[in-house]
Amino acid sequence: MALDRKIAYIDLSTGKIETRPIPIEVRKKFLGGRGLDAYLLYNHAPQGCDPLGPDNPLMISGGILTATCASATARTHIMAKSPLTGLLGSANMGGFFAPEMAWAGFHHLVIKGKAKSPVYIWIHNGRIEIRDAAYLWGKSTTETQWAIREELGDEDIKSAVIGQAGEKLVRYANVMTGIKNAAGRTGMGAVMGSKNLKAVAVRGTMDIRIAHPVDALEHNKHFIDGITGAKVNKTQGALGTPFIWGATNSWGGLRNRNFQYNQMEYADDIEPERLDEIATETIGPHHMTGCFGCQVHCRAQYKIPSGPYAGKYDEGPEYTSQGAFGAEPDCRKAETVLAGNHLVNQYGVDNLEIGSMIAWAMELFELGIITTKETDGLDLRFGNDEALLEMVHRICLRKGWLGDVLAEGGIPASEKIGKNSFDYLIQVKGMNNLHSDERGTPGLALNIATASRGSDHLRSRPAIDLYHLPEKVMRKIYSSPVPYDGPLSSEHTDYEGKPWQVFWHQNCYMAVDCLGICKYHTVFLGATLPNFEDWPKVIYYNTGLEFTPVELWEIAERCNNLERLFNLREGLTRNDLKKGDMLNHRYFDEPTRRGAPDVVGRTIDRQKFNKMVDEFYSHCGWDKKGVPTSETMQRLGLNQEPSHLL
Amino acid sequence: MANDTEKLSASESLRETRTFGKVRCHNPSCMERLEPSPGVDHIKCATCGMEYRIFWVRPDLPRIRGPVWEVNRKIAAEALARKLETSGNKSKAKEGV
Repeated sequence: MALDRKIAYIDLSTGKIETRPIPIEVRKKFLGGRGLDAYLLYNHAPQGCDPLGPDNPLMISGGILTATCASATARTHIMAKSPLTGLLGSANMGGFFAPEMAWAGFHHLVIKGKAKSPVYIWIHNGRIEIRDAAYLWGKSTTETQWAIREELGDEDIKSAVIGQAGEKLVRYANVMTGIKNAAGRTGMGAVMGSKNLKAVAVRGTMDIRIAHPVDALEHNKHFIDGITGAKVNKTQGALGTPFIWGATNSWGGLRNRNFQYNQMEYADDIEPERLDEIATETIGPHHMTGCFGCQVHCRAQYKIPSGPYAGKYDEGPEYTSQGAFGAEPDCRKAETVLAGNHLVNQYGVDNLEIGSMIAWAMELFELGIITTKETDGLDLRFGNDEALLEMVHRICLRKGWLGDVLAEGGIPASEKIGKNSFDYLIQVKGMNNLHSDERGTPGLALNIATASRGSDHLRSRPAIDLYHLPEKVMRKIYSSPVPYDGPLSSEHTDYEGKPWQVFWHQNCYMAVDCLGICKYHTVFLGATLPNFEDWPKVIYYNTGLEFTPVELWEIAERCNNLERLFNLREGLTRNDLKKGDMLNHRYFDEPTRRGAPDVVGRTIDRQKFNKMVDEFYSHCGWDKKGVPTSETMQRLGLNQEPSHLL
Repeated sequence: MANDTEKLSASESLRETRTFGKVRCHNPSCMERLEPSPGVDHIKCATCGMEYRIFWVRPDLPRIRGPVWEVNRKIAAEALARKLETSGNKSKAKEGV
């Protein structure tokens, strides 16, 4: 059955491999995926361990529903201590890897140690081997996947790999699978690189027994109708995630020129419709593809139409690449967005982080904080498309002084650059923001400040706050599965009620990450998509485990608290600008200069922000310092952690 | 457990509220529902004056592609100038937008 998939412990220093079943009691407390990985991290990572050292455990997992009849159970989760932040490292990716790993017999891998020379791990129907990867070192992410298929003679092998950025220990390197599926935050690719681990390849044909197959399939039809019927998913199926661009740029929610503006004016050439028109050969509604078991099909395919990268095939670009190679560096050419997206996919590096780092460097260059001396002659002004793409190469290959410095991540780079460079770095806990500007949206500002892996839109963002939903609708969503009768506001410029929304989404997204399904199948961008009340049936029909919606909520809370405990153990303190739940001063001091009438001229009110943090902590069951109280630890059964059950 | 009951979940019941053929004005203090005529490529919000370019995902599913820059930046500039004037900082109003 779905629950008989095992956990494997692989020590790359000694070559020792051990497999064990996952006890049902552990499943009931942490489900799988990110939640169980958080348990493993808290139990296996020594306090204060070097993120790029052999002691840092790397977890790779699928969710509890992975490869079942449930839809969109495609997500592969990866966790370790982050080399970018020194705190929680966590990222997940779509594609086909985790389902294949489940068919090969495993839901969770714990990889420790460091191989003497480059290796890859080969998992095939319950068997695990460590194999030589010297011939793969230096290859791109796509080349690596095809080389492994060729070596092992099976085109259906799925691999999670690193590119050159991971090999060079760029602290925000990705783990990738397929052309563009990226576990792209917090530098999990650098952790793989530090272990001399180029790839994990999987192939499986082991059946997964579904607990109630007829009911599972029947229910899934209804479930899929709910998902594909949403306007947001119909639009995504035509334009991919860049569909968000139109709204966020219209009202003024995009970061432009690092953080100088909150709207990219006259950016029509990088709108998704324009990208569609330009790359007519393969992009667009008839060229969308999807991840395992997903009906949304939000992934575009394209060829670059002109310029130095003409003819290169890739997938995407995601909304994040529009920001990284468009809004943030103020570049307006579609070809630049497509080429930048292609480069990060092949090097295996986080597009959000690298775009933010380069835009930050551009602002420093224009301010004279860095000069052509540091850039080795590169004219690093905003809007210089060639310089932008050149910096991608330099960072991923650690070429030149600035490339090497920026590869270290924002905070270490600011320490090397010196002067007041840190003041211009738009980060939380050492991780840069998405290209979003939250000065007009206090709820979203609270989200990025308190998200467990640093400034992040996928951990607790109340994105539907931007839809101006009637209070009646909001109350229906946010009063379940646990009652809530506090304030809720339809105004996304308000501060009232936002802490509860952030808390609710923090639990919702954790639950989704434990199940192993995609966030586009829950209340992330669509208010009418499934959440806590809808999941117990899916879990029961597929696995036989019975949960109430409230029990799922409590599991999510437990897992979120474990992540919090890990961060606190590794040095998080509330107001620390480098390791805390705090925003850059520019949010409080610099008014927005563009956008809709109600957005222009806005800052985040520091006093109200602190009040929101207090209230958010209170909902989480944390004290004023952000530490879980003893009552919370007791209620969630965490007072015995680390318990070393696995 | 939820599968013991025929009651609709919150997300299921909210599906009735889905509206096709309309878009919301992107001005946060307006958010008026706008209903573009089939096939048009522009729409102006009658409530706040902001103007948008329209893209049709399907014949019944319009979306806002982006703003009409000249119109909306003028509205934003005026709003910023008013705000800065209120806070006594006229010089920044000119450089703002």
